[in-house]
Amino acid sequence: MALRDSVIVSYAEAKIVEKSQRDVWELAAEILDSLLTKSGFDKAEIDGVLVNASLTGATNCFWAQSTVDYLGLELDFCQSVDIGGCSASGAVARAAAALDAGLCTTVLLLYADTPVAETTMRPRGFRNEWTLPQGVIGPPADFGLLSKRYEHQFGLDYEALGKLAVTQRQHAMLNELACEKLRAPISIDDYLNSRMIADPIRLLDCVMPCDGASGLLMTTRKRAKSKGLDKFVVPIGYGERTNYRAGENVVDITETGHVAAGKRAFGQAGVKPTDIGSFHPYDDFIIAVMLQLEMLGFAKRGQGCAFISETNFSCSGDLPLNTSGGQISAGQAGLAGGGTNLVEGVRQLFGEAGSRQVKNTRYALVTGIGHLPYGRNWGTSVTLILTPDA
Amino acid sequence: MVMTAANDTLNVKREVPRMFSFSRPFWEATRDKKLFIQFCRTTRQYQFYPRPVSIFTGRRDLEWREVSGRGEIFTFTTAWRGPAPFRGHEPYLIATVTLDVGVNVIGNIVNCGLDEISVGMKVRPFWAPLPDGLHLLMFEPEGSN
Repeated sequence: MALRDSVIVSYAEAKIVEKSQRDVWELAAEILDSLLTKSGFDKAEIDGVLVNASLTGATNCFWAQSTVDYLGLELDFCQSVDIGGCSASGAVARAAAALDAGLCTTVLLLYADTPVAETTMRPRGFRNEWTLPQGVIGPPADFGLLSKRYEHQFGLDYEALGKLAVTQRQHAMLNELACEKLRAPISIDDYLNSRMIADPIRLLDCVMPCDGASGLLMTTRKRAKSKGLDKFVVPIGYGERTNYRAGENVVDITETGHVAAGKRAFGQAGVKPTDIGSFHPYDDFIIAVMLQLEMLGFAKRGQGCAFISETNFSCSGDLPLNTSGGQISAGQAGLAGGGTNLVEGVRQLFGEAGSRQVKNTRYALVTGIGHLPYGRNWGTSVTLILTPDA
Repeated sequence: MVMTAANDTLNVKREVPRMFSFSRPFWEATRDKKLFIQFCRTTRQYQFYPRPVSIFTGRRDLEWREVSGRGEIFTFTTAWRGPAPFRGHEPYLIATVTLDVGVNVIGNIVNCGLDEISVGMKVRPFWAPLPDGLHLLMFEPEGSN
């Protein structure tokens, strides 16, 4: 199978900052340089590149090509992945498919975005016509609408959601690459008392826009072995669903595409939620983490908060969760943000997470969330299951 | 008990929304405060927001039909921070409304207190003036004066 024949040989991550003084391509260069050093690969061996569509490069329709030109890379495969927050994990599956199809032999997966320093996006979609005139500020209001509906159907335990915020903040304090501003402890009361943005979404429910970069180097298992590498991480299950129930009018917005993406990934990997050693869910909002616990089968529908209350999510707990702080506590590097969750999952399986290293490195589960459509939950859901080579 | 009133945002300066070739009939009908929604002839279902095809079949056999705009609150949020033109007008109410014809529409709720709104509350259209004689579809509680 395509996925299992591809391996992640190395990962890299730059420090997440409130506003980068360095250009997005300089951050990308730092990732490339770091990956070459760590992997022992030569630049000339990289013959494929996947980059995320970025907010900084949004108006450049030659984004992937411009980026690799600045990096001096000659390639047989070059592509931008534009499924928003799913681009990082989505790139792993796309790299595996390209490797399996023989399009290339070694792929650089490059996640870089500096939306605070520079955003060039000119949105073309429903927002200007249907929601901005109604004062919908964007994602916080979208999640406010989602949260109120969830509360109506199942009830919401805000202290449980606060527990997630506190846990992720504790993890960011252990992560030197997390945005410094966020590396301060918070309490459940701090969470509950943070100011309302779009009731019941509070400030501490939301990610903080930041600048940053990360990346992976992938090749075929055969090539990794021939280079004498004995340590790598393998993608063994992947699911992706865009526009869950798109052909229906009024859908249950508390159910997301992760139902489908998770089922596929777990089935492909042959594992179940209780096998997962660390969970790295995409976290643009705290409630998105809770919903994914339900959608992926850790908790029953409507029981996400109860599951949170009875589960220890610390690095030494029952289900270590977003062990580097996730995006909510490490900062969201724009559309490269999914790389934060992904790289930490890979780092844990390499056993290189230092003070936040988890014990169970059998399987890591990483997810993505991308795009927020009109009146629904989210546009794309991805689920990726990783294991160290065995 | 002091009831906190939601702002109605009617004083927010709004531009004519950017519209598409396939959504223009919706906006033209708002000149007369009429609500026109796309209807798929094949599946006999309405859809919103306007699309270039039926979301049910992928085909183009759509027609525009006038509907009452009555419905009930599917979900809502109180906006305490709005986009730039709405700054200083908070708090105001935004809701997703399920129209009687089975589509969900997002709109401001006016003439309603912050503590009065609830999921399932019945609402009816409220048309707010836009430039060039167009109107914006908002909602107000059924029975409000």
